[in-house]
Amino acid sequence: MALTRREALKNLAKGTLPVLAAGCVSAALPQFAHAEEERLEANPKYRKTDPANALGLLYDATRCVGCKSCMVACSQYNELKPDTRQDGIHQAPPALNYYTKNIIKLWRSEDGSDHSYFKQQCMHCIDPGCMNACMFGGLRKDEETGVVWWYGAKCVGCRYCEIACPFHVPAFQWDGFNPKIVKCELCRTPMQKDPTKKQPGCTKVCPTNAVIYGKRPDLLKEAKKRIAENPGKYYQSKVYGEHDAGGTQVLYLSRVPFDKIGLPDVGEDSIPSGLKYSHIAYKWLALPIALYVGMVAFAGKNFSEHSHHLVEDQKETGLRAQL
Amino acid sequence: MTRWQRSVPVYGVPVFTRGFWGLAALIAIGLVLTAYREVVGLGVTVSGMSDPFAWGLWKTFNVMVLTGLGSGGFAVGIAAWIFNNKKLHSVMRVALLTSALAYWTGLIMLGVDVGRPWNFYWVIMPWQWNVNSPLLEIAVCMSLYASVPLLLENLPPLFEYVIYEFPKWRGLAETCEKLMKKVYPFIIGLAYVLPMMHQSSLGALMVLGGSRVNTLWQTPCLPLIYVWAAAFLGYNCVTLCLLLAKLAWKRDLDPVVMAELNKITVYLIYAWTAFRFADILLRGKILHIFTDGYFSILFWVETVLILGSAYVLSTEKGKKLSTMFNAHLLCAVGGMIYRFSPTTLAFSAKANSFYFPAMAEIIVCLAFVGVAGLGYLVAVKKLAILPGTNADWMKMAQYEEKVKPGIQLTGYAPVEH
Amino acid sequence: MAKDAIAQESIAQSLKNAGYSRRDFLQLCTTLVATAPMGLALTEKATPAEVAKAVGKAKKPSVVWLHFQDCTGCSETLLRTSKPDLADLIINLISLDYHETLMVACGQQAEDALNSAVKENAGKFVLVVEGSIPRKDQGVFMKLGGKPAIDVLKDIGSKAAAIIAIGSCASWGGVPSADPNPTDAVGVDSIITNKPIVNIPGCPPNPYTLLGVVLEFAVMGKLPACDDLKRPKFAYDRVIHDHCPRRAHFDAGRFAETFGSPSHRQGWCLFKLGCKGPVTHAGCSTRHFNEIPDCWPIGNGSPCFGCTEKSIAFRVPLFDRVDAHGFTATPPDTYAPINSSMGKFGAGAALLVGLAGGAIGGASWAASQKLASSEETIAEEATKNAGGK
Repeated sequence: MALTRREALKNLAKGTLPVLAAGCVSAALPQFAHAEEERLEANPKYRKTDPANALGLLYDATRCVGCKSCMVACSQYNELKPDTRQDGIHQAPPALNYYTKNIIKLWRSEDGSDHSYFKQQCMHCIDPGCMNACMFGGLRKDEETGVVWWYGAKCVGCRYCEIACPFHVPAFQWDGFNPKIVKCELCRTPMQKDPTKKQPGCTKVCPTNAVIYGKRPDLLKEAKKRIAENPGKYYQSKVYGEHDAGGTQVLYLSRVPFDKIGLPDVGEDSIPSGLKYSHIAYKWLALPIALYVGMVAFAGKNFSEHSHHLVEDQKETGLRAQL
Repeated sequence: MTRWQRSVPVYGVPVFTRGFWGLAALIAIGLVLTAYREVVGLGVTVSGMSDPFAWGLWKTFNVMVLTGLGSGGFAVGIAAWIFNNKKLHSVMRVALLTSALAYWTGLIMLGVDVGRPWNFYWVIMPWQWNVNSPLLEIAVCMSLYASVPLLLENLPPLFEYVIYEFPKWRGLAETCEKLMKKVYPFIIGLAYVLPMMHQSSLGALMVLGGSRVNTLWQTPCLPLIYVWAAAFLGYNCVTLCLLLAKLAWKRDLDPVVMAELNKITVYLIYAWTAFRFADILLRGKILHIFTDGYFSILFWVETVLILGSAYVLSTEKGKKLSTMFNAHLLCAVGGMIYRFSPTTLAFSAKANSFYFPAMAEIIVCLAFVGVAGLGYLVAVKKLAILPGTNADWMKMAQYEEKVKPGIQLTGYAPVEH
Repeated sequence: MAKDAIAQESIAQSLKNAGYSRRDFLQLCTTLVATAPMGLALTEKATPAEVAKAVGKAKKPSVVWLHFQDCTGCSETLLRTSKPDLADLIINLISLDYHETLMVACGQQAEDALNSAVKENAGKFVLVVEGSIPRKDQGVFMKLGGKPAIDVLKDIGSKAAAIIAIGSCASWGGVPSADPNPTDAVGVDSIITNKPIVNIPGCPPNPYTLLGVVLEFAVMGKLPACDDLKRPKFAYDRVIHDHCPRRAHFDAGRFAETFGSPSHRQGWCLFKLGCKGPVTHAGCSTRHFNEIPDCWPIGNGSPCFGCTEKSIAFRVPLFDRVDAHGFTATPPDTYAPINSSMGKFGAGAALLVGLAGGAIGGASWAASQKLASSEETIAEEATKNAGGK
């Protein structure tokens, strides 16, 4: 029998009603108002760190002279091999990669009259997209320092973190049987192994103090102080990372526009906040469960009707009924 | 009543045809390359992936696109079992088989693509889950779906095969069948909720891509649009399979069922297109459909292929078999492009970088598609999958009884209900 | 015999007898290690103490030093040291049995010294040749004791264990071979072909290069690894440009324009003034002369003239520019760009995609054609069945 429009609409209504009801119920739950915080508090491993205590870096591009001592120090502290793949002799990585957790890049203007250096490494976001993306917690924030670090035992090598990071930071080891995700961890492991190391390698060797280490509020204060003392020197008098991507622990000051040196305009919403609607839909699994109950109810009714027909057909034809 | 009343295996056609061996050769090469990838890693000798384009063909095509194509199981199933569309019962098995093959090959492909697969066992420990991650939802849901409801739904043809061909195990098979009948609604409830969840999560994946996914695709409603696209792709796939069965093995078509499939496909597509345009309009990006260069062209290619095909199907011309075939094919291509865009075609990872798959990557991708194809070919010839009439069954029974004396395919006493 | 005793003495013994302190010896060994950190088995991965021990045990090698068409500059370079007095040190490290400038004897005594040294150490002594050998007119343009140089070389060379051609003249002809080369001056390896020869070109070369080669032979019993021009790799495998202290200026485009200009006074790169550094194989960038840092041509603001290279020295005018990217290892762009390019477009892969797409497209077209030929529609059937149940 063909499905009439009336029947179709009736069925549609019957199916949609419980779904809508479940949606309304879960929406009305008071916790919905604090969905974002709850999401972050739910599992201590993924809790966002109190920004007041978080450690970070402040890089002032106007002070950097491009000496690359920080690259060498980073390789040494983290026991990385230098990337000499370009010509076999010189360490010249073209970008952050499996050998390179920290890189100095150079921006030159089209006519060659202006230039600026850019130190690129993990931004240690307050609400990182990479951590949100990782299925089993292969990337996690240190509870005290807020440093985002890679935990190999939980990493599946799916590279979703690379997709989620707007700063193109996590690097995957493309060659080899046991690949890792490599990125700056503010020398967390070297400092743990050797307690005499009190700061990351890059900040220790920088000859001009272009990059400095400290607690985020202190770094922010220092950055703002420099802006106040040098009006017009810094681009838009802005500290990149104060609010960008929900706030990052690595802050940047620059004379040239940020997007020129490789810091994209990502807005002030954290990367994971894009999924807020999905989190509503899955709250307490209410919607899926309601859907399931509804489906079982309908399927059950239709199935018993169908089985009835099958038995009758088999009586008629003698052909074994097919489920 | 529909002409098609049951599923009938393809009979009188050998399993080991030239097509079979061709696919087998491709699969063999693919397996060798897979072993090579396991040893050397995912670098330049094996794939075109790099840090800006961390996801290549395998994740985005074999998993995200092909499971979309293999969504017939839930899309046709919901129409048949939830909305009680009795006409579609006869094509359920085809839909389920295509789903099973697409999902199983997709999941194996996923295992080949990830770099540290030995850590996947955390998936069975809920306390280790990062519930914020869309990929986790997919991992849990897809694995559960492929290993429980999808598997169970595809077992009835196997039970029948055992009952007809292996009398020794008949008792066991009949018991299993009975058990399944008892819990069937619970199985298929799961079989429809789980795919809706993970097909939409596949869309949610690229929400984290932020502004790197072009604005014509990036929307908080991406999950909804994605699962809806999976729905009409499922219908495309089932219809194409039926039309190809007619071509390859001269099966008769049931015009009522085909018309029904077309109708549902058309309505799904109209709703989908309307929603997509509404979404772009409400986000204030409607001008981008003309002003975004390459992305605008891509958008229109998708839209024309999908909407155009739907329009053609809804006209009189769409009743011609060749037009129907072309329309569903082009619509499937458009739908696959849509699912492929947010991850690859419309994904601007980083300036100056681009992605093109390497040879080994392409061969392995095709090889796994080949596995699905091979599985399909063998299954439809050995099991009762493709729909047919009762008369077809009788003819088949006559043929089989000559070839396999002793087999009983007709004259069954009615079963107690 | 007294001479035998001297020849058999170990180097350590000889130094002790001459009154040299261990400290002086270690200082020499340190310089040796610095000269040849790689490429010389004697010093590779060795500390100065280890080198001192090895050298101390070895027997003083017997060395015969012949001069032909030379300016004696190569001998002079050996003497240009301040502390300790390297000349003395060298004389105590090796048994210099014949050297026309340094030996006391002259005339017949000198001839006898040469003959007896060659006879007693036949097959064991090292022959060092300084200066080119003229071949024109049966070699009359240079005679030693009345004998043409070419014959002397053939005679004495045939009895040597190894020959070291020191200086560009002995290596490939040097200054005397400059156009029009009126005496047909050539290097040692154009005359002797059946003995191991090491060329140490340069005008003059660094004395420690010679010392390294000789001691390697004395201590390890073999000559160091050489390139196809017989130059020891440890000293000649890189070009001046590779290790030039002014390289940063070259890379950044800072050139001295004229002699005495402000850019010249700043110590900027001398490439525009005709420096042959990019095409000259030598170690002068790191091993300077007279034991004074920066005491070498470029260090003094004078462009390198390529004294080791046969095709450059005394052929290419001093201030003519050469191709900067001759043999040099140019580093990649010194800094990574903000967005480096990634991803490659494999032709094979593109072909494969094209083939696969073509195959599927073709098959689909064929399928739809076949369906079209049946001209079936579902229209009539549908209307028929609609009337039924």
